[in-house]
Amino acid sequence: MKTEGLLFAGCAVFFAATDVVYWFLSHDPTGTTALALAVALAFLMGFYLFVTGRRTGMRPEDRPDAEISEAAGEYGFFSPHSWWPLFTAASVGTVAMGVIFAWWLAILGMMFVITTAMGFVLEYYRGVHTP
Amino acid sequence: MASVATATTLGKNPAQGSLARPSLVSVGTIVWLSSELMFFAALFAIYFTIRSVSTEWPPKETVLNTKFDGFITVILVLSSVTCQAGVFAAEERRIRRSGPLVKFWRWGLREWLVLTFIMGAIFVGGQIFEYTNYVRENFNTGGGMTISSSAYGSIFYLATGFHALHVSGGLVAFVFLLARLQRGRFTPEKLTSTIVVSYYWHFVDVVWIVIFTVVYLVPQPGK
Repeated sequence: MKTEGLLFAGCAVFFAATDVVYWFLSHDPTGTTALALAVALAFLMGFYLFVTGRRTGMRPEDRPDAEISEAAGEYGFFSPHSWWPLFTAASVGTVAMGVIFAWWLAILGMMFVITTAMGFVLEYYRGVHTP
Repeated sequence: MASVATATTLGKNPAQGSLARPSLVSVGTIVWLSSELMFFAALFAIYFTIRSVSTEWPPKETVLNTKFDGFITVILVLSSVTCQAGVFAAEERRIRRSGPLVKFWRWGLREWLVLTFIMGAIFVGGQIFEYTNYVRENFNTGGGMTISSSAYGSIFYLATGFHALHVSGGLVAFVFLLARLQRGRFTPEKLTSTIVVSYYWHFVDVVWIVIFTVVYLVPQPGK
């Protein structure tokens, strides 16, 4: 993971350099703030990848002599199908509509968001799926 | 019943991805959190832009209760510590406490999560309490700071309000996590979820420290 870490650390250094140059050339607080937070963005990911890379060691994709079969195995849990994201998205849309048109709609939508998010998160923790 | 097979594989996933691979959930959370940083970057940019074009900063009528907000800031920072204590307990598979409630060093993940939730709720409650005070400040004279009373009021409520929304989202995440802990045994997914929720909580905490420093502690006048 060293390569990915270096890529993001390089971005952080680049943004930091441009930020300083930008400030001295323009004295514009808006862009300077955005660039400063972009440094944080790249640094956060670079830092995470470095630390995780040190902990997990070399992955097959880090070694030139790795075999394809070494990358086999569990990648995580993926839901085969679910209706909940559709309803969650519709509820979030309702909240956005509520912010534009009427606050009562936003509050109603917020209730839908919590209900559908509950279905989304807990779908594989009930009935036959209970681990 | 097509998904029974996935149900049986649920327990096999290692907590942090397979042996030599980080968990997809953790990496995704970090990428999302860094994009969240850019969301707050927009708010900070608004703040500094308005500040740079204002003649006096903050406006004279502004009365921020730095003492009270400092107090709830300390509570939020400490809640990050209790959240991390919960993660350490989860990594040792201590989910429920193994002693009486007063012996906090025997607490499991659930007790730490509940304490973190309470501290986060105190923070959000304190913010709402302060908002009502700011709106009602100089109520008799018709003053008070609202989101539409001044540019300063707009960005103050936008920045702190969006942060408070993030804290509230974290509280909901804690409730969902606690609900999942109640169901079945402690699978590696639950450990991953615990860890990424703690990432989010630390993120929200750090963002608040920056907002607090910028808005409350260094409000020198702009140019």
